[in-house]
Amino acid sequence: MSLRALAAVALAAVGAGLAVVLVGRDDGTRGIAAEAPLPEPPAPAFTVEAPQPLDEPAPTARWSAVLAPVDVRDAPSRTAATRTTLATRTPEGTQNLVLVRGRAVDEAGSLWIRIAGPGLPGEADGWVPRTALGEYHAVHTRLVVDLETYSATLLRFGRPLARFPVGVGDESSPTPRGEFYVRNRLTRYADDFYGPLAFGTSVRSPYLTDWPDGGFVGIHGTNQPELLPGRVSHGCIRLRNDDILRLARLMPVGTPLTIR
Amino acid sequence: MSDTDLTLEQLDRDGALREAIAKLDEAQATRADLLRRATVGSAAFVAALALPASSRAAPSGRDRDILNYALTLEYLQSAFYTETDLQGALRGKARRASTVLGAVERAHVKALRKVLGSAAVAKPTFNFKGVTEQQTPFLRTAVAFEDLAVAAYKGQAGRIQAKPLLVAAVSIHSVEARHAAWMRYLFGITPAAEAFDEPLSRPEVEAIVAKTRFIAARTQTSRKGRRPRLTG
Repeated sequence: MSLRALAAVALAAVGAGLAVVLVGRDDGTRGIAAEAPLPEPPAPAFTVEAPQPLDEPAPTARWSAVLAPVDVRDAPSRTAATRTTLATRTPEGTQNLVLVRGRAVDEAGSLWIRIAGPGLPGEADGWVPRTALGEYHAVHTRLVVDLETYSATLLRFGRPLARFPVGVGDESSPTPRGEFYVRNRLTRYADDFYGPLAFGTSVRSPYLTDWPDGGFVGIHGTNQPELLPGRVSHGCIRLRNDDILRLARLMPVGTPLTIR
Repeated sequence: MSDTDLTLEQLDRDGALREAIAKLDEAQATRADLLRRATVGSAAFVAALALPASSRAAPSGRDRDILNYALTLEYLQSAFYTETDLQGALRGKARRASTVLGAVERAHVKALRKVLGSAAVAKPTFNFKGVTEQQTPFLRTAVAFEDLAVAAYKGQAGRIQAKPLLVAAVSIHSVEARHAAWMRYLFGITPAAEAFDEPLSRPEVEAIVAKTRFIAARTQTSRKGRRPRLTG
């Protein structure tokens, strides 16, 4: 076949193919170009905005609830020495809390959490299995109590937010110094001595260990505001009633407490 | 505490998940009910009206419940990735993926809450039990969550009554499918092994969520009426 004849055959084939597309395919179905146009798709009822990166400042501290009774150990290992055992409830009937300080994985691949726990200063600082704890909560506040100036300063994001005059422990039962945290919040009790609201803290008084319910230090109001500020308490941190109510509006449970 | 004897009721104390799931079985509301709900749920209605004119659609009874069901799953995912980001314990590609997926899931939550307005279910409390703090448990859980979301959206697609809502749900569904493929790849399993994905029904999703035991009771940190015994 000559070159001209080949070109004629090829042209004919292309023409036939186009005819099939425009009129109908050889399997009997109609081609796309012959279809009635499809309707426009319905608009979505809503759209999703562009994703935004996490814009959350680093927390001052994180805390978690104790879900099961657990031994606090010296190291992240089941064979490490036990420092103390944590209960799931506080003496006040609320859920027991710990501050979360760090993590480690043991040789078996189990996750351990370094905690600061309740008790005498340093008594419950150690390691517990992650399985004993609940969800994490972040706080951005810190309460700093100065035993020399009789003041409590609430910080948020590291900046002073409010400052209050306080009463602290007297010479026979001084308020313990160290790093602790606010463990619970009590209201609507019938005892004017504690004012309208009390926070329980994680620290026990080393001087009043035989006190009912273990002698935990509180932060609370008072029915003797005229005594503040000064060394007037059994170890608790006393505020005027207006001040404790204001503090309660600003300070969540789990807030770290520095007493210096 | 035993890991095997917990029920969804114990885990989902706030009832957010069950509330969303249970409503899916309610009989379709009557026209009068719908009118009444449109009045009572005016905040949701107003929120929907705030959308662009071309996409206005106040979710009706069943659609609203399906959206709340989706919202609960999105809460689960967004909380998971957000906590992972905050923990900062992952490394490499998993860390990058968690950051991206967290941003997307939070955007899904925001969009669904906007459409639902005051009818949106509350966010449950989640305890991820350390899977946000370890590479392999994180990846395993992420694959499970993304596969679950894909199957759950698909399981409700045929039940959504308003087409514009269906279009929006499918738009989220395909994103979840991309997430599933991404996390499967990072975990080292075939991203797309099957030619046909099966949907998951409501009871199947409920069973899987319950099995995770990630929905927790809220921590009780306050008490009324009990006299303090603090040192004073």
